[in-house]
Amino acid sequence: MRITGEQFAGVRRGKTGRFLLTGGTGFLGSHILAELLTRGYPVTALARPGGRHSARERVERLLDWFGLDGDARSRLEVIEGFIDRPGLGLDPGEYSALLGRADEIIHCASDTSFSERKKADVERANIRGMENVLGFAVDGRCFFFHYVSTAYAAGRRAGVCREELVEGKTFINLYEETKCRAEWMASERCAREGIRLSIYRPSIVYGDSETGRSTRFNAVYHPVKTLQFIKNLYEADIRHEGGKRAREMGVEIADDGSLHLPIRVEVAAGGGLNLVPINYFVEAFTVLMEECLEGGIFHIVNHRHKPIEDLIDYTKRLFRIEGLVSCPAAAFDGIPKNPLETLFDTYLEVYAPYMRDTRVFDDRKARSILSKKNVVCPEFDFEVFRRCMTYAMECGWGSKEK
Amino acid sequence: MISEEARKTASQCRHYAMCKIDFLGTGLCPPGREKHYVAYYPQGRMDLYHALSENLIPVTEGLVDIARTCTLCGICDRQCHFVTGMRPLKVMKALKDHVEAHVRAGKKIEIPEQDRTLEQLRKIVGDEWATNDPAILLTYANDPFPLAGMQMPRYVLLPGTADQVSAVVSLASELGLPYAVRGNGGSVFGFVFTDGIVMDMNRMRKIEIDRENWCAAVEPGVTSFDLQAEACKQGLRVNTAEPAATVCGNIVCTGTFSTWSNVYGTAADGFIDMEFVDRSGKLFHLNDKSAPNVFAFRDQVTPSPGICTKAVVKLHPVSADEEGLMVPFADFERAVAFARELSARRIGLAVAVLGSHYLATFMSPSEELAAKVKALLPEVLGIHHAVFVVGDRYARDAVRKMAETVIDDRLFRTLMLGLPRLAEGEWVDLIRAYEGKGPPYAILCRDAMYPILEAVLLPSPETIAASVDEDLREFYVQLYSRPEMTDMVWLNMFRIVSSRMARHRHMFAFLIYVPLDRVDVIRSINAMFKRVADAQGLDNDYGFITPMDFGKRGILEYDYYIDHTDPEERRKIERAMTEIEPFLDGLGRGTKGVKWLKYVFSQGCSRKEHFLYTSGDSP
Repeated sequence: MRITGEQFAGVRRGKTGRFLLTGGTGFLGSHILAELLTRGYPVTALARPGGRHSARERVERLLDWFGLDGDARSRLEVIEGFIDRPGLGLDPGEYSALLGRADEIIHCASDTSFSERKKADVERANIRGMENVLGFAVDGRCFFFHYVSTAYAAGRRAGVCREELVEGKTFINLYEETKCRAEWMASERCAREGIRLSIYRPSIVYGDSETGRSTRFNAVYHPVKTLQFIKNLYEADIRHEGGKRAREMGVEIADDGSLHLPIRVEVAAGGGLNLVPINYFVEAFTVLMEECLEGGIFHIVNHRHKPIEDLIDYTKRLFRIEGLVSCPAAAFDGIPKNPLETLFDTYLEVYAPYMRDTRVFDDRKARSILSKKNVVCPEFDFEVFRRCMTYAMECGWGSKEK
Repeated sequence: MISEEARKTASQCRHYAMCKIDFLGTGLCPPGREKHYVAYYPQGRMDLYHALSENLIPVTEGLVDIARTCTLCGICDRQCHFVTGMRPLKVMKALKDHVEAHVRAGKKIEIPEQDRTLEQLRKIVGDEWATNDPAILLTYANDPFPLAGMQMPRYVLLPGTADQVSAVVSLASELGLPYAVRGNGGSVFGFVFTDGIVMDMNRMRKIEIDRENWCAAVEPGVTSFDLQAEACKQGLRVNTAEPAATVCGNIVCTGTFSTWSNVYGTAADGFIDMEFVDRSGKLFHLNDKSAPNVFAFRDQVTPSPGICTKAVVKLHPVSADEEGLMVPFADFERAVAFARELSARRIGLAVAVLGSHYLATFMSPSEELAAKVKALLPEVLGIHHAVFVVGDRYARDAVRKMAETVIDDRLFRTLMLGLPRLAEGEWVDLIRAYEGKGPPYAILCRDAMYPILEAVLLPSPETIAASVDEDLREFYVQLYSRPEMTDMVWLNMFRIVSSRMARHRHMFAFLIYVPLDRVDVIRSINAMFKRVADAQGLDNDYGFITPMDFGKRGILEYDYYIDHTDPEERRKIERAMTEIEPFLDGLGRGTKGVKWLKYVFSQGCSRKEHFLYTSGDSP
């Protein structure tokens, strides 16, 4: 190891080591960044510029969103860089200087797209990005590499997925595959170079279970957003355009004001989503990072799947929708999908395997540490659902700032 | 007193001469229709107002007449807005106001002196049709072509017959006066200026259809739009150029090419015979045994064989079941390969690979909407290119079998009439978030999705009209209530939306014949144009490719966009040309099938085989 356990413990106690964080403008990365700064750790965020904003402005805007005070911000350094470019896109002098400042690396940057047509982007971010960040770790003084992966690096399988490297051969999508490959890359390189390694594997992360706040509205939000769109579309047709198009779709407003949307959602017996809120993820990540000084692989997951039937029920209650039903695949035999079902299924096709997921993530290793600190994953009940979706709608599913 | 707002608008006239054809069914500018001189059309009045603001001309007798004959009917506002987004009516009013103020103030009105030559010219064409009034001369002295300066002619005349043309040429020859011919009083390439005589052929507009011989004899003032309209009345079609371009002028200059050239060819393919007046004033037909051999091609800039006074052009049959189709692609190479395959298999009639810029601009009635759609097509829907096809039902069936996704006639109408709603709102967010396997456009094109798309877009004349100025909306509602305005076949035959390409800026088009099976060569040409333009800070975009001759060749257009009133933009073009010319010349020398249209100029009557199939080592 590049540093002894005793030396490392001293660095952590004194918070004298600096973290280099990638993906600091992403969903998980920004939450980790805010948490580390709040806890008094010095952090260098490597970030890209985006749109009209510089890297610094992007990070600062996020910290505004988190309400971080000046004291916490004083520990932040922002460097504009690109993990998918050689030398992280830094000039040689800047690169060398940064090598001497990064004691630990938290590699969070990732392309989370599931789409095959974005293959080049996903591979560039998740594989080439990992190569470059590992190269930087090896070149410099880094003694601990933290990789934020995903529970779904387990790949396509049935049953229990353990907190260990996966000899996966098949995956649901390129995202899973690249995350798995990146885990192996990190594991082999860090072992060879004497760098401690922790791999954190969250399942599907949604907003804050207590406040509903979030900066991203994909995954579990996406089907809800699609349904809200369909609902608004046909309500507008009924209210302002005479309702002809709604009638053609079998959509109508009942006397009690609820909207009848004839949509069947295919579900698998025992399947459902493994959902964790961002506040739980951040707390779990921090505890595991602070407690496990020798590293490891940790599942940050919910111990039970959320059945799709429950999510359908929540959606119906929140939006006052009727007609939305869950049913097995056999129900579609002989009764073809209507256009609404086609639209809904088309939009959810990449999420469908997760909706029917029966993988069980064994999190004993993580839980044994987290339970000692009373860190428990909250239940995704209707109140949490309502809070998160209300927040999402208030900010236009991310199109409006809040 | 010059109005700055009117001056700015006046300076932006693109000289596309669209105000000289009745392409929207609004009727024509009344004085233009009667007087024929460009100066009496909105285009000429725009130039005149700009010239007055620059003190280029005095107030003349002719100018007073030009100003007073304008009825402020507003036709120009509708026509010009459709094409350029500009509102010239305020210029027309400002011109009238300026001239009337001048007259009221008792200031001098210049009356040009008659000279002996003018008398002789008037004797040939009639007093009304020859002039040396500076107000009329000015409107033949300039155009937006950035590489040519202003050149005032001494006389402008409007001959009415081939014999008059012949007599004018003889006289000019006798007097040693240079002359130039303008088919429709407008030119965008700068080759029609002279300090001698300009002959505007606007009065020679006869069309004679010979149904049994599948041809039409047209005089040199006949526009593509007018000929197509006559052909349509007979249930026929002609391969034509831009709607305001004259048929004869277009053939002589470059040969007619369009998306229909896929089946109708170009250059000598398009006509049966032509009549010319040679430099000595002698009339000849190409079918005369003693006529010069204009079917041959010389690989250099060559003068035209004379003044075309008649063309007998081919007419083609039309099937009642023809419709347009669009096949979207995310990838240029696949789009070109698809178009080539259609051409090679003789599937479809008109075929072209269009870029997202063209698609967006053609479909959008306002510049603002076009900009949104241009971003939406590639970034959100994944449509970077589309292969446009017109075909009968057998061809369309074949295309559907060959293509993964198709935008058919019904869907196209829906998209076009609902375009403002397609380009914004929650719908766009939803599509943007689509993570599925196929491209996002594939969702839109599914039959099952059509009812939902209709509910989203609410396609109607009112929906599309919402994207234009409020006072024009009622006009646009009426306009888009007409089925042809959303009919891909009609739009492609009459090409009335093609001039929209110059809506945001004047367009400087480069056209190159290319070997269609060499996508690497086509890519290298596109890359060169982009690199050179970007280096100069010039707005630029891919235009289109149309396959020709069974997909063996194609014609590529790449466009630069400039503010033609900005001298710096002109300098940029000049600098760009120093790179473009050697590149294209070198490529033409080393690569068989590459031929820059510049070298075909004035040889539009030649056999296409002579310039499409090159030796590869030409000078």
